[in-house]
Amino acid sequence: MEDKISRIKEEALKVIKEAKTLASLDEARVRYLGKKSELLEMLKSLGEISSEERPKVGASVNEAKLAIEQALRDRKVILLQADQKKKIAAEKVDVTLPGKGIKRGSFHPLTQVMEEAKGIFLRMGFEVAEGPEVETDYYNFDGLNIPPHHPSRDMWSTLFITNDVLLRTHTSPVQIRVMEKRKPPLAIIAPGRVYRRDSDATHSPVFHQLEGFLVNERVTFGDLKGTLTEFLRQMFGNEKNVRFRPSFFPFTEPSAEVDVECVICSGKGCHLCKETGWLEILGSGMIDPNVFKAVGYDPEKFTGYAFGMGIDRIAMLKYGIDNIRLFYENDLRFLEQF
Amino acid sequence: MKVPIDWLRELVSFRAGADQLAEMLSMGGLETQVLPEEVLEVDILPNRADAWSVRGIAREISALTRFKMKPVKFKLKESAEKVSTAVKIEVRDKDLCPRYMARVIQNVKVGESTEWLKKKLEKAGIRSVNNIVDVTNCLLHEIGQPMHAFDASLIKDQFIIVRRANPEEKVVTLDGREHVLDSDVLVIADPEKVIAVAGVMGCANTEVSSMTKTVILESAYFNPVSIHRTSKTLKLRSESSIRFEHGVDWNAVEEALDRGAALIAELGRGEVVRGKVDVFAKQRKPKMVELRPDRVNQILGAEIPVGDMISVLTRLGFEVARKSKVMKVEIPLFRAMDIEREIDLIEEIARIWGFNRIETTMPNTAFAGKEVDKEDVLRNRVREIMVGCGLIEIQSYSMLGPRDFENVGNPPENAVKIANPLTVEESIMRTNVLPGLLKVAVHNQNRQIEDVFIFEIGRVFSPSKEKLPEEKWVLGGFLTGSPFMSALDKGEVDYFYVKGVLENLFNGLGIDFPKVMETENFLLQPGKAAVIEGIGIFGALHPDIQRSCELAKPAFFFEVDLDALFKLIAEEKRYKPLPRFPSVSRDISMFVPSDLENQTIIELIKKTGTTLVEDVFPFDKYKDSVAYRVIYRNPERTLTEEEVNKKHQEIIQALISKLNVRIRM
Repeated sequence: MEDKISRIKEEALKVIKEAKTLASLDEARVRYLGKKSELLEMLKSLGEISSEERPKVGASVNEAKLAIEQALRDRKVILLQADQKKKIAAEKVDVTLPGKGIKRGSFHPLTQVMEEAKGIFLRMGFEVAEGPEVETDYYNFDGLNIPPHHPSRDMWSTLFITNDVLLRTHTSPVQIRVMEKRKPPLAIIAPGRVYRRDSDATHSPVFHQLEGFLVNERVTFGDLKGTLTEFLRQMFGNEKNVRFRPSFFPFTEPSAEVDVECVICSGKGCHLCKETGWLEILGSGMIDPNVFKAVGYDPEKFTGYAFGMGIDRIAMLKYGIDNIRLFYENDLRFLEQF
Repeated sequence: MKVPIDWLRELVSFRAGADQLAEMLSMGGLETQVLPEEVLEVDILPNRADAWSVRGIAREISALTRFKMKPVKFKLKESAEKVSTAVKIEVRDKDLCPRYMARVIQNVKVGESTEWLKKKLEKAGIRSVNNIVDVTNCLLHEIGQPMHAFDASLIKDQFIIVRRANPEEKVVTLDGREHVLDSDVLVIADPEKVIAVAGVMGCANTEVSSMTKTVILESAYFNPVSIHRTSKTLKLRSESSIRFEHGVDWNAVEEALDRGAALIAELGRGEVVRGKVDVFAKQRKPKMVELRPDRVNQILGAEIPVGDMISVLTRLGFEVARKSKVMKVEIPLFRAMDIEREIDLIEEIARIWGFNRIETTMPNTAFAGKEVDKEDVLRNRVREIMVGCGLIEIQSYSMLGPRDFENVGNPPENAVKIANPLTVEESIMRTNVLPGLLKVAVHNQNRQIEDVFIFEIGRVFSPSKEKLPEEKWVLGGFLTGSPFMSALDKGEVDYFYVKGVLENLFNGLGIDFPKVMETENFLLQPGKAAVIEGIGIFGALHPDIQRSCELAKPAFFFEVDLDALFKLIAEEKRYKPLPRFPSVSRDISMFVPSDLENQTIIELIKKTGTTLVEDVFPFDKYKDSVAYRVIYRNPERTLTEEEVNKKHQEIIQALISKLNVRIRM
């Protein structure tokens, strides 16, 4: 009996050792430890053996069983590892091949600059308002202190729909529309498309402006300077100098052009800034009392400032774009750069 | 305006060089560049009528540098003959011509100008004509008062009539152009003919020539609005009209006339007739404007001392009459056009005192931001979703032209049209965004870019009963080619890809994707065209359009009315509790009749399944065989096998009886 047990054990261990696959290993398990295996049969028939020999034989069978089980486990680990290795080798990829997925979408550069500019004012507490792109001449001109047949109307080359309906030449009509409806205090920005009868490398018949205005009691020109200096520093860099130059807009007085130090030469003078060292970015000023009168505000009680900027121009300066048409041609090789 | 520096030096002393002058003038509000040969190029703002002359610039320099202006000196000798015998003048419209003056110079010899005058004009960019015209041009440039010289012998009876033109009256101006006038145009005439369009340009019929012996010199103040209007309607601008439309200096009318006559007499060796004609409605006097020094500092947010304010105003030529809490400031007539109110004086003080000396402060905006423009926020959200779907944002012109419609039907009849477009190709306000998107797709295809995934958010326009057209915000998309980064990944955009983009859009905005219906639209391929009622359309671009646009691959298009879409967004978002009990899923495979839509099947399953069916979706499809997975769940308790089986059988029976499907076992 003992011999038989040790023969089975030796045989089993040999077969297990030689098993090349998990399947053949499993076959070995069934053969040597399965319900119908010799060892199991021996355990079942222990009752037929004399009581003296029974413990001894039982112990031997168990010992053989454990040894076989251990061998099975060990062999399984080895086979699994080998299998894994094979699998990994088979799964190797060329890590330099391109990635998967759909192409990246992107925001138009004008949107990006507009949103950046809007964001700065929104953080300062301004809110967004909008108005129509097709406007009446009242909101575009008269209400803004630009009377008919006044030379100041020539500042804007206008596209007309009818005699008194036109494509707004600036976002300033939104000032009038908001002030007609609401009372101060107001801190508003008005983004949007505007139109002029102009077309060359730096002028497009369609372009974008961001207008802003703030009305309250005791708003000062100093506040205007503070707000716009802060804006320009956030937009162009904290180290940039900002200057205010007297100018003329019919709807503001005093009026100021706002310049920032050139983005290329930082004030030394270069081609971009026409050797002046400065780039003109904003038109601004204290809202003219006539504008307040047009909307029924008391100019003695309320003061305010207004400003406007061309988003296309800022985007051109920011990205070094020399032709405004690139924005509206929408060549994907251009747009994908943003 | 070209301003030679040596000409400036005749009027004011200063130490500054060209660059310093340019910087100083620019920072004072007159943008100035330095040209070669000591000449400045000064940009005159529309409100600065006073600065349209060398003297205007000199006054500005005087105010900025505190150097005084030099006095004007000239000698005028008059002959014995009286002006009243040499010329008669009648002004019939004193609104359009508030002041008309004339002098007569006899026995002149018209010829080339002397060297100094020619050189002086040349440096200022003015062409020399003859010794008479050059004098008027010289004074125009120096003091900003236009004058006109007529050959007296060519004026019938030497009788000048200042009147409105007759309707349809014709005139040929010095530049050879013929104009048809209307009664809003002021003309200078004799009893027979028009001899000048007042303030704008003279006529050849009375032009000074080498034959001229007697000159009638005109100096006037014309109504600025009238001149501006005439110049615009006749499309005729001259150095004179520019000055008159901005408003000339009332006093300089006479000064120029006297100096002009003296100079013509001197250079043309003629004699000035005694006296001058001066026809006016009412003499103009300087206005008084009140100025509160407190108000100056309140508006500017500055602390400018009153003494500094007075100094600035005085240097600019204003007289500060009473120096108390409210100052009375006398406005010289050369500033009558732009200084009428306190705020005008505040601007003068600020710009000369220096904008950059005013301290910067931050306004209090604690009150602000109460009303948020939700639509603006939502449009940005839409943009983000589109970019997330791999689409590139474009911006195209809002106006289109006939060429844009060549491949997509006809230009809309009912559209907002521009009366004075730059080109006919930018003359129709867009009614939808497809033509713009298509144009961009074609532009890129022509540059070997075949995969085009683009979108645009913008306004479209349609005429309305109101004065202004209706403006709507729309989202449009155009997709063609492969969406994948790598060419190793095969596959191109199809109908379901586009629908997926829209489903993402709706989900991203928290809106259940609404019912979709097949539709007919000449832009879209039949059978691949869908509409979301009241919101938008999408589908495959019609193959005819694809072919005529020479697009290499099938293209897909969508347009969504954003205003309508945003109305579907729930005001408030509430969270749904997570399910506490497990779900059970069961599949149904069936053969589906060809005209039976997925939407109908899903609706029936949901309706039959009542609250027990949480979700149902197709998960396998081959030809007419489709498999649906139904997810069952009871929010209150764990479902039993029996109740699921029972409900599932009900659904299967309903599908068979109502939709005529054949169940696959």
